[in-house]
Amino acid sequence: MKLKITFLLLLSLVTFGVTAQDTKTVSGTVTDTRDVPLPGAEVKVVDKDNYAVTDFDGNFSLDVLEGDQVRVTYLGFEAQTFSITNDATYNIVLQDQSSELDEVVVVGYGNQKKSDITGAIVSVDNEEITKQPATSALTSVQGKVAGVNIIANDAPGSTPTVLMRGLGTAEGGRSPLYIVDGQPLTDITSINPNDIESIDFLKGASYANIYGIRAANGVILITTKRGKQGKTVFSFESYYGAKTILNPLKMANAQQYTQYFNEESAANGGFLLQDNQRYNTDWYDELLQTGTINNNSFSVSGAGENIDYFLSYNLYQEKGILEGQEYNRGTIRSNNTYHLFNDRVRIIQNLNVAYTNENPKPFGSFSTAYRQSPLVPVRYDNGRFGQSFVNQNTGVVGFTTQPGETLGRLNSHGNPVAQVYYEDEQINTTSLQGQIAAEFDINEDLMLTTRFGATKFYSTKKTYNDIRDQWLNANPNRTEAQFEAGRVPDEDGVSTEFANNSYTIRRLESYRWNIESFLTYNKSFDEHNLSATLGISRENYEGGEFTEAQAYDVRPERNLRNLNLRTSQLFNDNVTGDTYQSTNLQSYFGRVEYNYDQRYYVRAVIRRDGTSDFATGENNFFGYFPAVSLGWTMTNEAFMEDNGVLDNLKFFAGWGKLGNQAIPFNVQSINAEAGSNNTNYVFGPSQSLIVGAALGTPAIPLSWEVTEEFEAGFDFALFNRKLSGTIDYYNRLNTNAILSVRPLLNSEYSSNFFDEAAEISNSGFEFLVNWRDQIGSDFSYNIGVNLSTNKNRVQNVKPAYDGAIGGDLGNGRITKRLAEGQPIFAWWMYEADGVWQTQEEIESNPSLVSAAPGHLRYKDQNGDGLIDDRDKKYFGSYIPTYNYGINIGANYKNFDLSVSGFGVGGNKVYNGLYNTRLGGENISEEIFNKRWTGPGSTNVNPGADRDVEASSYYLEDGSYFRINNITVGYTLPEISSFINSARVYVTLQNPFMFTDYSGFTPELNQDGDPTTTTGVELSAYPNTRSFIVGANFKL
Amino acid sequence: MKFIYKTLLFSLFTGLVFISCDDFVEEVDIVDPVAEDGEDYQPVDFVNGVYGMHTEFSYAFSYLGITDMISDNSDKGSSPTDSGTDKRALDELNFTSSSVSVTAMWTIWYKTIGRASQTIEIANTFEGQTAVPGARVIGEAKFLRALNYFWLVRSFGAIPIQEISLVERAPVEEVYEYIEQDLLDAIDALPLKSEYANTELGRATKGAAQGLLAKVYLYQEKWQEAADMANTVITSNQYSLDPNYANVWRVTGENGPGSLFEIQARGEIPQHGVQQYSQVQGARGGDNGWGWGFNTPSQNLEDAFNEAGDDIRRDATIIFAGETLFDGRVVDAGVENPRYSEKAYSSANAGQSDGDKNIRVLRYAEVLLIRAEALNELGQSSAALTPLNLVRTRVELPAITATDQAEVRQAIWTERRLELAMEHDRWFDLVRTGQAEAAMAADGKTFITGKHELFPIPNNQLVQTPEMVQNPGY
Repeated sequence: MKLKITFLLLLSLVTFGVTAQDTKTVSGTVTDTRDVPLPGAEVKVVDKDNYAVTDFDGNFSLDVLEGDQVRVTYLGFEAQTFSITNDATYNIVLQDQSSELDEVVVVGYGNQKKSDITGAIVSVDNEEITKQPATSALTSVQGKVAGVNIIANDAPGSTPTVLMRGLGTAEGGRSPLYIVDGQPLTDITSINPNDIESIDFLKGASYANIYGIRAANGVILITTKRGKQGKTVFSFESYYGAKTILNPLKMANAQQYTQYFNEESAANGGFLLQDNQRYNTDWYDELLQTGTINNNSFSVSGAGENIDYFLSYNLYQEKGILEGQEYNRGTIRSNNTYHLFNDRVRIIQNLNVAYTNENPKPFGSFSTAYRQSPLVPVRYDNGRFGQSFVNQNTGVVGFTTQPGETLGRLNSHGNPVAQVYYEDEQINTTSLQGQIAAEFDINEDLMLTTRFGATKFYSTKKTYNDIRDQWLNANPNRTEAQFEAGRVPDEDGVSTEFANNSYTIRRLESYRWNIESFLTYNKSFDEHNLSATLGISRENYEGGEFTEAQAYDVRPERNLRNLNLRTSQLFNDNVTGDTYQSTNLQSYFGRVEYNYDQRYYVRAVIRRDGTSDFATGENNFFGYFPAVSLGWTMTNEAFMEDNGVLDNLKFFAGWGKLGNQAIPFNVQSINAEAGSNNTNYVFGPSQSLIVGAALGTPAIPLSWEVTEEFEAGFDFALFNRKLSGTIDYYNRLNTNAILSVRPLLNSEYSSNFFDEAAEISNSGFEFLVNWRDQIGSDFSYNIGVNLSTNKNRVQNVKPAYDGAIGGDLGNGRITKRLAEGQPIFAWWMYEADGVWQTQEEIESNPSLVSAAPGHLRYKDQNGDGLIDDRDKKYFGSYIPTYNYGINIGANYKNFDLSVSGFGVGGNKVYNGLYNTRLGGENISEEIFNKRWTGPGSTNVNPGADRDVEASSYYLEDGSYFRINNITVGYTLPEISSFINSARVYVTLQNPFMFTDYSGFTPELNQDGDPTTTTGVELSAYPNTRSFIVGANFKL
Repeated sequence: MKFIYKTLLFSLFTGLVFISCDDFVEEVDIVDPVAEDGEDYQPVDFVNGVYGMHTEFSYAFSYLGITDMISDNSDKGSSPTDSGTDKRALDELNFTSSSVSVTAMWTIWYKTIGRASQTIEIANTFEGQTAVPGARVIGEAKFLRALNYFWLVRSFGAIPIQEISLVERAPVEEVYEYIEQDLLDAIDALPLKSEYANTELGRATKGAAQGLLAKVYLYQEKWQEAADMANTVITSNQYSLDPNYANVWRVTGENGPGSLFEIQARGEIPQHGVQQYSQVQGARGGDNGWGWGFNTPSQNLEDAFNEAGDDIRRDATIIFAGETLFDGRVVDAGVENPRYSEKAYSSANAGQSDGDKNIRVLRYAEVLLIRAEALNELGQSSAALTPLNLVRTRVELPAITATDQAEVRQAIWTERRLELAMEHDRWFDLVRTGQAEAAMAADGKTFITGKHELFPIPNNQLVQTPEMVQNPGY
């Protein structure tokens, strides 16, 4: 960007022309403000190929004409241009690039100069965000912020999962807190990335703790754009892209499937398939299409005497890789600032309107496409969708049988194309977000800020279910007449199984508001710099209500669907609704920052939060969250002056307490309901139902989780700021992690309960290093590398609270368990130890009862001669132990290039698609090729007949490296005075992914819940790759 | 201008004061985690909830595994490839502490005990009008608690007494003492079968508690107490033998004259019975199979019936492939297993998941056999023959005339096997009487003495309470 501006400046200077004709030699020195000479600075005559470079003492000499404009550039300093007069020597003093160190960072209830920050905060600016087009700004910064693990989901309109410095909670909320222009929000899907000026990640407790009880998962501060002084800027940004699946899997074909099926079936004494079958369906071919993205933004911004204004409109349209899958979002933003009373009062108004229109399609179709046999057609000749029917006597796949023949199933899965076809759902949402803030300068040092913000969210989901068509298509032998027969009422009426269709409308409304007020005091005297903030805030959120109405037999035409317009009166309507209790939050906060001569820093923060979600003890809803941090900028010491190497070295350390109040509740209950399996009984000769009751597990009153964090590190800049970065260490401990505890088997209570049961610690290092340099006047480049490590451990589990299980594969097998000393919900399963080759081998070794040749063999860990739960072992976690990102940028003349990549390592992922089989499912070609086919064939991979136990065989290395983005841009030379700037670019998103994982994607996050199938591939949405072309204009 | 500015500033400060008030968090309803459901529940509602525990699916599958399939009376059944989770392992005596059936029964018995104790506590502290006298509710709860402790102690030996410690395994004698005390209390508190209102049919009675106590004495070889307690039941004039043995397990025989205690079932939603009890044991495959085909009577059992010439009980106990049942149902000859349990068969809900089959827990015939066994052990072998032959006469078998104690003992044991076949008692009889090793050997399985007398403490329990000691051999 800098270079681009330089370039534009150069262009504008062309018009000055040249007046003097006499060549002369001038000389001079280039120094910084401390009179240190700057060797290697470029001194160049504007618009001429005539330049000099300063020597070691900063001296230069140059042949010029009088009247020439000479420009001095030096990396890390503001460029300066001067005119040649009749003087012969010119001593140029370059200013430090203030943008780097005096850049203002938003820290929550105020700003701080970057040079004064004493903690781990990472800022990302608009340029970084818009370089990687995405619906969510967070997706764009994946891999750019050390210690912030952003796990993208490529499904249209989805929000990425953000984990800052590891996962510190098992049952509590995991999302960071988002603060948009001071207003708390649960997510930022309603915000157009182009409207964002900057994102600040408050990683460490000493900064995040100003948000107290909700800060334990980190705080993300978003600042949206405002009008800037200068002329009105009209900006247009458009891009268009195509999306395809990144890592397609080659599935077994018809012939391979048949062989696999027959091997499995033969081992179980089942029927066999014929060799030559009619169909050979490639389900992924049938299911997937090329998605498209189309994004158009327009904004106008500027500033008048008393008003700054920014107005933008954005329309994002995406068609997913499944037929009919769509996501459209429009946003309108208006941010204005009114400067009153000679700018002593500023009224700031923000308004964001976002509406979305979405047609989701079932992700489950991906796993169905994996599992369904290639022998099944998409549709039969009669037009019905293909199903897994097979004639068991002839072994021919199809639905025809002769009398006496049995019609069976290859497997229990449906038709993925039908699944997508019948999913008819439309979601419309509107989100209104507004804020008014006022800033008063009470006197020179004291300012009062008051803000009021509110958000209202509406969502309507309309679901149409074509029951008749699905009933008929579930089995091609079914007839309309059979369906009609089902619609004849008997004494119980008609079962809804035989409704023509159902139509459901679900409306949701939610709201939140916040009001806050704080005083800011800033005073500098002599070498002392003091700043203090004191404030209060009040918030009400999570309130809302929903209603859902369902009717059967409505008109099928999309435009005539109406709950009141029905084709029969056979069925009753269902209407349900509920309201959500809102949470009230009352907070007080104070902060003091002091530094002496920008050398020694001390900072203390306290937040007192009260929440209506908890009653801890005697009407005490309040908790205190303190933090302190210290800093020392060594390079500002006298002894470090003129050291010639180090430009900046600042040490910092901080400690703080953070809360997480998004925890589950225990509520005492008495179980008594007519439908219960175990509280009711029948008595009397007629055995009438008597409803009984039982006490639920007693509730333990819980309060918020408290995380304590310590961090220490240093910021550095070397070699005239060519090399800069931050290295830090963090150690955070959730002191009272809430776990879902299973009562002792021999205790009186059955259901799990929540209790503060353990500590969860996360610790690691974060490295962020940037190198940038300029070679000649045409070429500059930068390389940024970041790496963060994470060690996640569960510790100090209360006795008998251990052993919670998770990662249920849905077939009675689990894959995770919580144990002391392990990462949270670590993998826990059998250790695969080869393949059973013969029956004799099975009989003479410890084995499962179900073992057979070709099955995986499991290690008898405790050596008791049996294979059971006690032989299961911990195998690490799905949570990466390190994340890294690489970002490279280069500019040559008008061209710019950027490449960014992102990777993780140290994690394991579970190939659930491969493992979970009920029988008769398809497999990938790779699995087919490597399978066990008889004694001696392989001692690694199981045969077609295998068990469904969870084992380390299916646990794979989850590390990957992905090139996120390759962008090549070209900034057009001035084409007319009307256009200020114009840039066209081509972007490849996710062009490559390097991984050893055998499934679709090792980036398996689901909703990030450690207790469920996070890290297990069962039906995840695959990664996609996009090709995007775009153009930006500024008028 | 200056004035407006100051007014603004002033009003903002006023606003500040307004919003700085802690009461705000109390304006919405505070979540009170310990608040209970508002409705009033009577102690009797809670004891009904204890009965309800006995209709759980565990009694339809896990229970069969650790009582019948493991014994010589029945086999796992079903398809050879279907292991029924750990049922094959149970059948073949190579189950482990991770066995899901063992875990399930350990768990449900303790949970039932927990509910019973809660009921007692609630009844003891209940203030207000009770529809049912609190003493009776406590009596019922104590009977059910004793029943579950009895099932636990005969399966696991020394076990924690939930009300005392969840970790410490109380010695077997202490557990039995605890059971006896509960039963004595229940006997005092409970009405006789005939004293109950008709609508209360199915509740625990004085006779049920006495019968169970007799059995508890028998297991401890307290012969005199067992004989006496059995006699108390016999002389109570509440019970007699249904002349038609087969009728006992039909819907017409539910809660019949010989019934001391049954788990009640109706077989309709929501008045369901023991979930899937009949379905799990129903005939599998063939043209008209209706169930999963588990827990199939063994060849060994069929031979035992034939050897005794006991056709009536054989045919009432076993459904043979290809036979026509009493209700007219023809069992296809092509079903997967040759025999199925007729005592689990329901005419009305053959293969439905909610069955109407009452599980007979304690019958008069067993009380007679308890008396016979106890008398014989007390040396009164000829007196023992009276109750023994009552049982035999019903099924048209000749009276036993032997008077040799050992011979009579063997006759009583055989009688118990045939009379109570497929009633979830055989395995414990084998262990109790020391016949297990020989019987298993005869059935082609290896019974490890010193190990198989007891089931293992479930692994998941030991994970939670590592201090608890495992049973020997596991």
